[in-house]
Parts: sequence; structure tokens; C-alpha cells
Amino acid sequence: MTEDKFFERLRHDAKPLRYAGDDFLPARMAARVRERLNRPATVSQFLAAWFRPIAASLAAIILSLTLGLTWSASHHDIADSISQNPIEFAMAGETFGVGD
Amino acid sequence: MTHDDPFEARAIAAVRKGDSGPYDYLVSKYSKRVVAIAWSIVRNAHDAEDLAQEAFVKAFENIGRFKEGEPFGPWIYRIVTNLALDVMKHRTRFRHEELSENQEAARRDSAELGAVSNELAARIDAAIGSLPENQRIVARLYLVEQFEHTEIAAMMNLSEGTVRSHLSLARRKLQEQLADLYGGGDD
Repeated sequence: MTEDKFFERLRHDAKPLRYAGDDFLPARMAARVRERLNRPATVSQFLAAWFRPIAASLAAIILSLTLGLTWSASHHDIADSISQNPIEFAMAGETFGVGD
Repeated sequence: MTHDDPFEARAIAAVRKGDSGPYDYLVSKYSKRVVAIAWSIVRNAHDAEDLAQEAFVKAFENIGRFKEGEPFGPWIYRIVTNLALDVMKHRTRFRHEELSENQEAARRDSAELGAVSNELAARIDAAIGSLPENQRIVARLYLVEQFEHTEIAAMMNLSEGTVRSHLSLARRKLQEQLADLYGGGDD
């Protein structure tokens, strides 16, 4: 038997295994979903709805502060290293310096 | 892609505007298929209905992310598949997956047992049940629930090639296990 034929027959013979549920399943599921959607939020869900955006905003502020401080510290290091190691170059017999 | 079902399109449009009433139509239309997908993964009717309910609630809450003009089916199938796969991961973590086939069978309710009353189907069911997890899920969705490769790939967030590869491995094992019924090799 070719492989495709094998799967074809298996698919046919496996049909009784298909989940059929009962006749009331669609109505029962619709009722369950409706009940869940209409259920008032619990205290914890209510608090979570408030705290989640606050926590997200705080996290964003802390992240931007950290990035800002890191950038500022590294920027100062570069400025310090330039001022401590002046660069000199000569042009047309004159010597010029950067960082003096 | 356009809607084949104008009622579905209208229901989705109404739900997007905040009217939850027409959502009943979508739940009723897809509930059997959604529960069947969950059942084919978690193999427990009670859990499957809970997962289907959760999937419909999640879809409702995220209806704003649903692409307008697309059919609702593939989207809700994907949501329920992800939820069911999460449950399987959880079971694996807590070693619940080590239930033997006998223990697993004992958990099935009467509705499920009715499905395996056919002897040939019962042999196929047992053979599929003995496959490794991913092969088993893909094989069940393809052979039992009759989804196509592309649909399974979308539902499980896999490439079509991976789905075909799982099926190819599953086919080899199933052919071995069911050799007495279908013959061992190629004609």
C-alpha cells in the first residue's frame, strides 16, 4: 500500500473517532461564554486592571532613567578622556591642540 | 479572504462595536469544532469544554486584534490550540503526562467512550495515542479531525514542512503498529 493510500484509508477509518459532543453543546457553550462575559469583575481583577498600567508606566520611567544615566556617565567618560589626553596636530608649521 | 457567511461578518462587526449579543452566533457555530480540537489535544471532555470556553472569552476580549475580512474559524482554532498546548506543557511539567494509556482511558467520560466503540477505530485510536506528543497531536488533527496541513500549521504555529515531517514520522510508526490491518509495506 502506498503511503498516501495508507493515510487515506486511515483517515476514512478514523472518522468514528471524531469528537461529536452532544446536541446541546452549542447552546451550553454559548450560555457558558455569555455568563463569563457578563460576570462582574472580581476585586483582584479590578485592582489588576488599575495596577497593570501603573506598573507598566513605572517600568518605562525606570528604564528610560537607567538608559539616560548610563548614556550620561559614558558621555562624561569620553569628555574626561579627551581633556586628559589632548590631541595635537600640526598644520602649516603651527601646532594646534584639542582639549586644551 | 472574504466571508462565506454574511451572518458571521455581521456578528463580528457588531462585537467589534461592543455589542456582545451577536457573539452567541459565533460561539454556537464554532463550538463543536473548537471543543473537538481541544479534546484531540488534552483528551478529556471536561477540560476540552473549559478550554473552548476560555478560548471564546479570549477571542471576545481581543476582537480588536482580529483582522477584518478574515474568517473567524482559523483564528479561534489557533487560540484554542495554543491554550490546549499550554495545558499539555503544564501537565508535562508536573509529570501528569506519564499517565499510562489505561489510566488515560479511565479518565474519559461516557461520551468519549462512545467514540471508540468501533473496534477498528479503537485500534487506530490506541496507535495514535502511543505516538510522541507532537506527532500524536498533528496525527489526531489530520487523521481524526480531518484538518489539512496548512490549517494545522496555522493552528500550531508551525511551518507546513514541520507538520509534514511530524506526519511522516507518525505514518511510519502507525504503519508498523497497524500492519496486521493495513499490510506492512508498499504494494
